[in-house]
Amino acid sequence: MSDEIRRLSDELAREPASLVFLPLGEALRRQGQTDFALKVALRGLERHPHNADAHDLLARIAVDRGELERAFDEWDMVLRFAPRHAGARKGMGFVLFRQGKLEEAERYLAEAMEADGGDQSTIAALAHVRRALGRPISEMPPAPERPSDAGRPALPPLPEMPLQPRASGETRISGAHHRGSGEVRSSGEILRPAPSGGGLPEPPWLSQTLRNSAPPPAAPVPDVDPREREALARNPRALFADLIGDADQTALLLDAEGFVLAGAYVAGDGRDVAQEVGAELSGVSDEAQRAMRHLDLGDWQQIVVETEVATIALAPGPRAGLLLVAADGAMPLGMVRRFLDRAAARARSFVEGIA
Amino acid sequence: MSATPFSDVLAALTRQRGVLGSMVVSEADGIIVDSNLQIGVKGNVVAALAASLYRKARLSAGAAGLGTANFVQLEAERGRVCAIGRGDLLLVTVAESRANVGLIRVEMLRATQVLEQ
Repeated sequence: MSDEIRRLSDELAREPASLVFLPLGEALRRQGQTDFALKVALRGLERHPHNADAHDLLARIAVDRGELERAFDEWDMVLRFAPRHAGARKGMGFVLFRQGKLEEAERYLAEAMEADGGDQSTIAALAHVRRALGRPISEMPPAPERPSDAGRPALPPLPEMPLQPRASGETRISGAHHRGSGEVRSSGEILRPAPSGGGLPEPPWLSQTLRNSAPPPAAPVPDVDPREREALARNPRALFADLIGDADQTALLLDAEGFVLAGAYVAGDGRDVAQEVGAELSGVSDEAQRAMRHLDLGDWQQIVVETEVATIALAPGPRAGLLLVAADGAMPLGMVRRFLDRAAARARSFVEGIA
Repeated sequence: MSATPFSDVLAALTRQRGVLGSMVVSEADGIIVDSNLQIGVKGNVVAALAASLYRKARLSAGAAGLGTANFVQLEAERGRVCAIGRGDLLLVTVAESRANVGLIRVEMLRATQVLEQ
């Protein structure tokens, strides 16, 4: 065990709720101890289920373990919490590239470059993919020059890179090398399909992608803008992501039948158990309705249940649905109610938007 | 009528502003063990419904992996019902909307010691 890992482990033992699991998981991953890294990342996600960096770490561990689909899903989660996360887009581009989905890989890499135009490894990766697609590299905007780049080539030489087989068994493409200020050098290359059963050799830009994907912190978004709304329509699991931030809380919107409409509830092992939790707790609101009918107290507005580990608050959702928020038991009740109010407003605008 | 171990606690709770009544209820069947209610409050109905709601909340929270329910508060347009459980007994309070629920909650948490005796 290296000194750094020992130090980080001690620090995490002293402060289990801290974010030290991020550098510790990364250090373990870099040492090739992916099983330990996975345990550390999952334990951290239990406490910080909405932390984009934690999902990013899990994605990179998944890549190391050859679990590409899981990596893609984790990076997809990262984008729910940090829509401008360039590292996640780059990683997703890599996964798609490995899966032979070059068109989609190009789109993600282009978006990554849009988010972080100064990242040389993204430029190299995008150049590679565009060459593989036979597209002109000149479509790419030139990367902004940085003082640190002065006096050395902007990109390392591109290696011969195997590709997943496409329609034919062998693909010929025209190569190109983006050399700093827009100069493009072309050459012919033969890309052979990857050997079946074996793992693909890791291109240099991938290693750099995975190692250097330190994301910028996600800025809280005060309201849903049209682009976000469009994204949410595609994946409603992220409806409350910006309200939740990095706190130990979660929110779910259920329809009248108790099915999850939006939101997520991630268990300690990384599974989304929203449907199970929603189904169990939706019965409480039925009970409340029954009680209100008999007691003549009007419509029910809120139910708060304090348990050993959490505070759960329920409120009637739009169209006879149910809104459920859960927060760590240490969170003051007033804050939980405030969170419920904000989530209720978001749920209303979401349901009106999809109606 | 002779005093029960719960009489003082219930009287103290019902003296709070906006509280319409309080009672000790059996969680299993919703039957009143002792109560201190203002005139007009349907004690039997409140007891049965509060016990049922609390039981449902406790079972649901447990099934959802959220631990044992300690305190349940139902807020409605014209009032609220609070319930706190210890063992097989519940302490239930029914109050108007204007009642200070924070104060009621603190009083109920204090009063649970009586339920444990």
